[in-house]
Amino acid sequence: MTIEPITGRYLRIEVAGTAQRIYVEEAGQGRPVLCLHTAGADSRQWRHLMNDAEVTRDHRLIAFDMPWHGKSLPPEGFETREYLLTTETYIATVLAVAEGLDLDCPLLAGCSMGGRIALQLAALHAGRFSGFIAIEASDFQPAWYDIDWFHRPDAHGGEMGAALVSANISPHAPAAERWNTLWMFMQSGPGVFRGDLSFYTRDDSLLGRLAQIDTARTPVHILVGAYDLTCTPEDARRTAAAIPGATLAVMDELGHFPMSEHPRGFRPFFLDALSRMHPPAGR
Amino acid sequence: MLPILQRMGRQLDGRPHLLRLGRLMSETVLLKVDAEEYYLFFDRGRLAEIQPGPSRKTPWRFAISTDRAALDEFWRARPRPGFHDIFGLVTIGRARIDGDILALVKNLRFFKEFLALARDEAAA
Repeated sequence: MTIEPITGRYLRIEVAGTAQRIYVEEAGQGRPVLCLHTAGADSRQWRHLMNDAEVTRDHRLIAFDMPWHGKSLPPEGFETREYLLTTETYIATVLAVAEGLDLDCPLLAGCSMGGRIALQLAALHAGRFSGFIAIEASDFQPAWYDIDWFHRPDAHGGEMGAALVSANISPHAPAAERWNTLWMFMQSGPGVFRGDLSFYTRDDSLLGRLAQIDTARTPVHILVGAYDLTCTPEDARRTAAAIPGATLAVMDELGHFPMSEHPRGFRPFFLDALSRMHPPAGR
Repeated sequence: MLPILQRMGRQLDGRPHLLRLGRLMSETVLLKVDAEEYYLFFDRGRLAEIQPGPSRKTPWRFAISTDRAALDEFWRARPRPGFHDIFGLVTIGRARIDGDILALVKNLRFFKEFLALARDEAAA
């Protein structure tokens, strides 16, 4: 029998005037690292790193489920609302969680849409963080698919979403972790993946902000998997090139969900990323 | 190509989970491999018939067009990036999907796992 070191609690905060009950889990001690999940999934994507004693020995990993995701409820009145994530709401949510947890300049690690918002925060709110690990993160890609496929009355959006994103998982990923990763998409609430994709595939506001990022103040390290069809190595290279001082690592055997789909393969890249996040000046 | 597709049809019959996933899949799919055409007649998740083309009289719901070298790489146990998924083949310009793509997406897991059945054989 094993009891994992991860503990979960609920944070009640107000985000842009709306009361939210946010599920937060954490493990470890030391420098805080706030971890953001991808679209259509939840904080379970971070479970392997949170169970990794070498990572948590001197890092406090904190992951939360965005409202509407995982164990975070949608807001009151959701039954008549269309969920469409926006850059503004996403930023406000991350900042409110960091403040609600009283985190002092945490590192921010985000994957996919979490990586996109990490770069937005690096451009607009760098003072609230001490570094950014942007995984499968890029400036912008429009959708090649119709996001409305994933919320329709005649089909299961979660199962279709999982089948679609399986295209982004590396064939090197262990089968068990491939399916655990896809399960989160299958479980996603109706319209949630679509609402996340609305943010990810329609908001190109980061394009004009990349040059504002000051990596001398807060380092930015971008990680990208070679099997990622959504954020390709070319997308990540273009994005890194537009951020003066940003560093990039291409992970040859990984896909779009590296921390979840192939934890052993991702581990050295994440440890390397942490080592690049120099402590903030004066701390 | 035809023997491979026939084997895949037999493999499908031995996969109860795929037959369950495909129980609403009764469509004709056109598979084009280089200049060869194959009409795959699915009936409630089973591959009921394979009709080699070309045919101007056979209606189909969606079509996948690719080349044999791309398929051979797709069928390796660990294909190179881009060759690992049908949408990857499209992204790298080695395949094209036409027709009612929503019919494909509604049956996407079923169809992807069907098309990958030859991969299992390659890995064995």
